[in-house]
Amino acid sequence: MPLVNTKGELIAETTIPALRVAPDAKPDAVAAQLGAYALVEIEFPKFRDGRGFTLARTLRERYGYAGDLRAVGHFLPDQFRALIGCGFTSFLTPPEHDAAQYAAALRPGRQPGQLLRRSLNRAREAQLEQQAAA
Amino acid sequence: MSLHVITANRLHDGVSVWFAGARGWAEHVDAAATYDDAALETALAAAQPADVAAHVVDVRAVPVTREGAHLVPVAHREQIRARGPSVRADLPAGPWRDGAAPLPPLPSASSTSPHAGIYRYDEYDRDFLRQRAREFGDQVARRRVGALSEDEFKPLRLMNGVYLQLHAYMLRIAIPYGVLSATQLRQFAYVARHFDRGYGHFTTRQNIQFNWLRLEDVPAALAVLAEADLHGIQTSGNCIRNVTTDEYAGAAADEIIDPRLYAEIMRQWSTDHPEFTYLPRKFKIAITGAAHDRAAVRVHDIGIEAHRNAAGEPVFRIFAGGGLGRTPYVAIKLRDEVPVAELLRYNEAILRTYNALGRRDNLFKSRIKILIREMKPEAFIQMVEDEYAALPPDYCVLTPDLVEEVAARFVVPEFPRQDTGALAKALAGDADFAAWVERNTNPHRAPGYISVAISLKPAGGIPGDASADEMDAVADLADQYSLGEIRVSHVQNLVLPHVAKDDLYALYQGLKRAGLATANLGLVSDLISCPGMDYCALASARSIPVGQRLAERFAGREREIGTLHVNISGCINACGHHHVGHIGLLGADKNGEEVYQITLGGAADEKAAIGSIVGPAVSTEKVPDAIEAIVNAYIARREPGERFIDTYRRLGAAPFKEAFNAAR
Ligand code: HEM
Ligand code: SF4
Repeated sequence: MPLVNTKGELIAETTIPALRVAPDAKPDAVAAQLGAYALVEIEFPKFRDGRGFTLARTLRERYGYAGDLRAVGHFLPDQFRALIGCGFTSFLTPPEHDAAQYAAALRPGRQPGQLLRRSLNRAREAQLEQQAAA
Repeated sequence: MSLHVITANRLHDGVSVWFAGARGWAEHVDAAATYDDAALETALAAAQPADVAAHVVDVRAVPVTREGAHLVPVAHREQIRARGPSVRADLPAGPWRDGAAPLPPLPSASSTSPHAGIYRYDEYDRDFLRQRAREFGDQVARRRVGALSEDEFKPLRLMNGVYLQLHAYMLRIAIPYGVLSATQLRQFAYVARHFDRGYGHFTTRQNIQFNWLRLEDVPAALAVLAEADLHGIQTSGNCIRNVTTDEYAGAAADEIIDPRLYAEIMRQWSTDHPEFTYLPRKFKIAITGAAHDRAAVRVHDIGIEAHRNAAGEPVFRIFAGGGLGRTPYVAIKLRDEVPVAELLRYNEAILRTYNALGRRDNLFKSRIKILIREMKPEAFIQMVEDEYAALPPDYCVLTPDLVEEVAARFVVPEFPRQDTGALAKALAGDADFAAWVERNTNPHRAPGYISVAISLKPAGGIPGDASADEMDAVADLADQYSLGEIRVSHVQNLVLPHVAKDDLYALYQGLKRAGLATANLGLVSDLISCPGMDYCALASARSIPVGQRLAERFAGREREIGTLHVNISGCINACGHHHVGHIGLLGADKNGEEVYQITLGGAADEKAAIGSIVGPAVSTEKVPDAIEAIVNAYIARREPGERFIDTYRRLGAAPFKEAFNAAR
């Protein structure tokens, strides 16, 4: 299945060992294993199940995980920006939606939200967007 | 042997359609092909759309009987689907709008309401809404060519406030914290007139619902609304919904802190929140800042009471886990004094806990209220506190600069007018006016001003419905007498918040001319009612007609009865707040007959309580008698100054049960 980065570009499959995490995983149990992995995959059983968003943020913010964080399973192009905003850095796109649809979801010129969103010092979100752009 | 027809709703406009075999889908049930039990399965397979780009959705069989030349569905709901709402004989089901008709210029192009105390958008904000409208247009287009399946499309349309109901698509638009400018109300009137069938429905959650939208018109309607800073974002779906508050915010004499600033901050924070847009279930937040809770904060997923600490600074009391629906609960308290800087952080901690642990295996147990009871409140609070303590210290802090930046976008109205005695004179000379003032006004913090409630509950009307003409009339009166500002209340009325006392009589006459001076605020006929089976696909019974009967029954004596909140829901989802009505009615279906379960003693304010069931459900015909008996029991026992709810609290349920049992 196609793998894309935070710009929606196709990237090559990685061969490094991955820690696969179910959406109901206990974050502290996952955290204990994080040191051994540079790739964590969070499963989305179906796109409506939003636990992966919180799990991703928790691993990034509470446990300081800095490696590759990958979304796997069923998620929509319409969720692409939110996934990026929660700290995902790579995406195994599901068969229902080809990789091009993800790139299309990041149309340039889309502005980042209303006043508070723009001003609020969301250090992490800004950092992540910068990382994504780099 | 039973007879069936096959029905569906058309994808592009939502119209209910009936399968006519080789002739495709017909708009009238009488044209449908009929199938006996043996033939049904094959026919259903033939009717099922072949691919995801199908032009019909929700294909299913319904039993019918043949009555002369007519086919009549057996189920009440399907009869209403086939005919149109029973309460609007003037609006038969079927297509109603020519999509190609040209549209006149927008009200927002020529009307500005410069003095309304609303939050001002800049072009950047407005672009955000335009973009969302375009994005939804794109999603509709992808759905129509099959790039999105119905399953995938549904949550996306819900996230934009678009439901599929019995007769059409319904569009729900947020009225953030219930505040509208006259211009915005005119924009609603425009949408009602040109995209709907001439009216809209104001809900208990400070939203407006348009009942007759065609899916293919929704992006255009959203674009129109975006020009007046209005949108349907997150008015449905499993996300944080419209943040609601007190309809008298910024005007009420008993206000401690104006909650609108914080409601706006929370609106912006929750809009498109990357983490909390696919929650286990919908999430409703309400905030109040007055001594008397007019926002029902204790029956929300998160309820917030703004008040002042010992040092005089604004702080927030936070409740969570209130809610109505199938399992009603009054919220538990989490904290008494969350400081402003921590408001969003503390809310994030609650939502994070809920998003991770809320149940996703059972729709009926997915709300935060259930999580809290299953975990036990103490364990839940501890978990939130842990989550809160673990947030990075610089994350999402609401600094004074940020608050100031948002506050600066609110127009602050001035109240220079004094009371020169005109009101007292008018009161003395016009008894009808005096009666209206007594019921329909609320004290203002500025001595020369008063707030006015415009009842949307006229005799024989539909609670919360307003026609396009009425909206325009209210907008004009608001421009003339209330600084161009209007509020929407959680009891489905409108409010003109800032009226100079000297102008009150003139305003009253204007309202009278528009047919909007019903003097019934807080009385029996000021009832809350959900749309019920006349519109709603989930209903078990109709809500509106039984409410109309009650209003009629008590018309002559409701002033004598005094304040009495009657709330009606058409099913257990409790959109009509029946659990928290002084008297609540819950519609149900008993072998094809509409029956209503009556509850007593509910309240949504600072003394929030869930009503208790008084006895077995009664038929529509019996409802007025049963309620009259309950009301008579109150009149016979009340002490001077006691409202129904006060007497009920003092005496308990027994005398009312007795009266009910004798009458049913
Ligand atoms: C006609 C379309 C509507 C649909 C399909 C609908 C659906 C629902 C459902 C399924 C629930 C229960 C949610 C739960 O407990 O998990 C609910 C609750 C609620 N709805 Fe509606 N509703 C509709 C219209 C309205 C209207 C017109 C109002 C206001 C008059 C309203 C206000 C509410 C409120 C206040 C609640 C209960 C508060 C709570 O969530 O605990 N809804 N609605
Ligand atoms: S209470 Fe039931 S019938 Fe009434 S609007 Fe809600 S879902 Fe529909």
